[in-house]
Amino acid sequence: MHRRTFLKSVAASTVTTATITRASAQVASWPDKPVKLILPYAPGGSTDLIGRPWAEKLTQAFGQQFIVDNRGGASGMIGTEAVAKSAPDGYTFLVTPNNTLTILPSLRKVPYDPIKSFAPVARLGDLLCGFVIHPAVGPKTFAELIDYAKKNPGKLSYGSAGLGTATQLRLEMLKFKAGLDILHVPYKGSGEALNDLLPNTVQLMNEINCIPHVKAGKLIMLNINHAERHPEFPDLPTLTELGHPNADVPIWNSIHAPAGTPPEIIAKLNAKIVEIAKTDEMKARMRSIHAATPLQTPAEVAAYQVADMQRNADLIKSANIKLE
Amino acid sequence: MRIRCTQDLATGLLFISIGLAALWFGADLSLGTALRPGTGVLPRILAWCLIATGALLGVKSLMTDGPGLGDWAWRPLIMITLATIAFALTIDRFGLVVAMLSSMTLAALGTPETGWREYAIFAAFMLLLGVGMFVWGLGMPVTILPKAWPWS
Amino acid sequence: MELSGLISNLALGFSVAVSLQNLIWCLAGALIGTAIGVLPGIGPVATMALLLPATYALPADGALIMLAGIYYGAQYGGSTTAILVNLPGESSSVVTCLDGYQMARQGRAGSALAIAALGSFFAGSVATVAIAVAAPPLTKLAQQFQPADYFSLMVLGLVASIVLAHGSVIKALGMIFLGMLLGLVGTDVNTGNARYTFEIGELFDGIGFVPLTMGLFGIAEIIANLTNAERRDLVSSKVSSLWPSRDELKRSVAPVLRGTVLGGLLGILPGGGAVLASFSSYTLEKKISKTPEKFGTGMVEGVAGPESANNAAAQTSFIPMLTLGIPSNAVMAMMIGGMMMHGIAPGPQVMQQRPELFWGMIASMWIGNLMLVVLNLPLIGIWVRLLLVPYRLLSIAILFFCCIGVYSLNNSANEVLFIAVFGLLGYVLMRLGCEPAPLIMGFLLGPMMETYMRRAMLLARGDANVFIERPLSLAFLVLTGLLLLFIVLPSVGRAREVAFKE
Repeated sequence: MHRRTFLKSVAASTVTTATITRASAQVASWPDKPVKLILPYAPGGSTDLIGRPWAEKLTQAFGQQFIVDNRGGASGMIGTEAVAKSAPDGYTFLVTPNNTLTILPSLRKVPYDPIKSFAPVARLGDLLCGFVIHPAVGPKTFAELIDYAKKNPGKLSYGSAGLGTATQLRLEMLKFKAGLDILHVPYKGSGEALNDLLPNTVQLMNEINCIPHVKAGKLIMLNINHAERHPEFPDLPTLTELGHPNADVPIWNSIHAPAGTPPEIIAKLNAKIVEIAKTDEMKARMRSIHAATPLQTPAEVAAYQVADMQRNADLIKSANIKLE
Repeated sequence: MRIRCTQDLATGLLFISIGLAALWFGADLSLGTALRPGTGVLPRILAWCLIATGALLGVKSLMTDGPGLGDWAWRPLIMITLATIAFALTIDRFGLVVAMLSSMTLAALGTPETGWREYAIFAAFMLLLGVGMFVWGLGMPVTILPKAWPWS
Repeated sequence: MELSGLISNLALGFSVAVSLQNLIWCLAGALIGTAIGVLPGIGPVATMALLLPATYALPADGALIMLAGIYYGAQYGGSTTAILVNLPGESSSVVTCLDGYQMARQGRAGSALAIAALGSFFAGSVATVAIAVAAPPLTKLAQQFQPADYFSLMVLGLVASIVLAHGSVIKALGMIFLGMLLGLVGTDVNTGNARYTFEIGELFDGIGFVPLTMGLFGIAEIIANLTNAERRDLVSSKVSSLWPSRDELKRSVAPVLRGTVLGGLLGILPGGGAVLASFSSYTLEKKISKTPEKFGTGMVEGVAGPESANNAAAQTSFIPMLTLGIPSNAVMAMMIGGMMMHGIAPGPQVMQQRPELFWGMIASMWIGNLMLVVLNLPLIGIWVRLLLVPYRLLSIAILFFCCIGVYSLNNSANEVLFIAVFGLLGYVLMRLGCEPAPLIMGFLLGPMMETYMRRAMLLARGDANVFIERPLSLAFLVLTGLLLLFIVLPSVGRAREVAFKE
């Protein structure tokens, strides 16, 4: 009996050691076959602009193909769900804007748990923007806008990329914090919204595709959405400076692994991403699409995600935003 | 009262049933207000329009002569439908080769004129063409052979 | 812009476009575009997405030239399948199926293909000139359109869809309603509510255009052809001349001219004008024709007009992208993506800051059109020979391409199941004497119409008079009324005749 138990424990420990050795061999050799980066939107969107350069850089860095797989549909839920359900072996990742993980779950039932189904890896790029107004309306600064909106409730309208998107939340945050009455007009994507902003059919927007028109003088940008001033627009104040701290609804892109992926793989990928983000070339590429990559560890990203989700949930509740 | 045009009657019945189904499944879509129409407004309008059109066709079928229902192509109908379903069900789990083989064979069974030797050559050619074009040429992320196979 | 300025700009553009490198990229794009246009399912958007990373290594102008080539190459290719096997690759080729496929069944496939290619080339050339000369004023014209105007335009379009059918008007009406209902399936953009989705993930964004048309047009046709030997032999046995007769060429001139103007104007509307281009041309030709009842049986005007219109619209749809950075459709969004990948922010300053890029693209559009017509005309012989393959084998190949095409869109096997459903529906409708073209138009225009109506009401703060107050909107609604009269009156006249006879 003793001998049998002894043999069993030897067998068990051999198997365990073998598994551990295989696991760490797996991690050490990761990646040794192509890696899939699932983007939960149709090709051509702003997520592609961030995801594809990164895919290219990671392919160069690791010597293995990092392939972008666009799985669009259902406001991003289809692709996100696909990653949540895939094997946590380090060969499938989700590259997504925060919408799918920190906004959508507070508005509707989603087929994944935004916190528990994923293990965040790194931040890939934050999109720069600020509130943009058509010059024919009158206000040229943020203060003038608030003033105008207060004097003319319901007169201004704001075009967003759709119901439940971060751009709508930006408006709701502004309305909530400054107590304004501005009409929200949802569009199917920012292109359509811009098309109506230019002839002054709607007056306001807050999207990255307005920036070329701001630079051409056709539209006026009033502020910067982020915590610090941006080098491209050094004269524009941030929301914090304007007296509205914590009022930004950032659009940030990140990469996530399915929950249960070995932490060593996550750490390895994060380290490489941070390394690439520091290079001048990557910085220039990100700048050309008006993005910037914050450097964070996986734990920091997780914390940021939770905080973002909480803030958005609070806003959605207090401003009573519904998908009708 | 004689049914003068079965085709029109059948079409009318089809329209009416689709319209009714649309009403049934869209019953809980909100109507909103007159100024801000809700999601349910247009579906309801369209459903009623469809029902009205179906009713009109039904009446017309009793008054004007027209073609009957004719012969339906049952064999191709069933086999082609099965072939498409087979492709859909097998491509993710078993790969492109199995999907192509199953759907092509089912489709070939859809007509009595298929010669099996000719089909075999054709199928081989199509397999090469399919895999060549889509996986090697365009780089589609689709598996070629079933995952269970040792060399995939 | 004065003539000398225009000439110097064009000279700059041609010097860029004619460099050996850019010519090669143009050719590559056109070839790839034609290939995927012929293949049902995989469209220019998916191909551009696949090739976008590869283009990063190219210089900016080469990359954009190639991407643009893919786009209008796909237009040429899409017409080919529409004519040969009744499979519309893009929404713009649906109308070509109507008379183009009938021409093919009468053995005049070569003629149809040639007319389509020549008409497209003419339209493309004119549109290119229009872009060069009038891009900024055309853009301003497009900006006059507000949601209320778009709504009325869509209503006009929907009524005009009735004209697409050559059979029963009542059934065409029913098809339009059914198409609109099918178009409503999915998430409502304005409220975020799901309609008729039955919790199926793939239905969330609506029924896909490609599975719908593959099923309704392609599969249904295969099923019908496989039994009815007589019907099918018409397709594969008769292959007469490869070139249009002189009569056909003469009859095509006016439709091509009209189609070019109509399509060119509609294409500049970012809100969905290009969709309307081909079939409004068809409607126009049918209404002007002395023999409207022959439309749908192989009238060459029904191919010449729409093909020119959709190519003109395809070219002018570049305008909002080039001048304002606004994408009119998913393809333009890809182009913008391509530009941004090269560090060019699309927008109003591209014309000033990177004139060699802007004018180079315009010049290469014309060169691309030229290449495509030179490529496609000889290919007609090959395509037509393809029709001689015994149908029992050809149908298998068509089925495969439909399935893989739809699968490739979103890597979704479930969408392939949709083809089966729509194939079934398509065959049933065929047997019942209902035509699919009005359904497709309802499918495309219905949701757009609803969106614009809602948005117009929202912007007008609930005042419905906006539809009559805006001159453009009023004009379209009046036209709609007139068109309705034209459609209904002949039927009323005929019914009265019948009543008198009895």
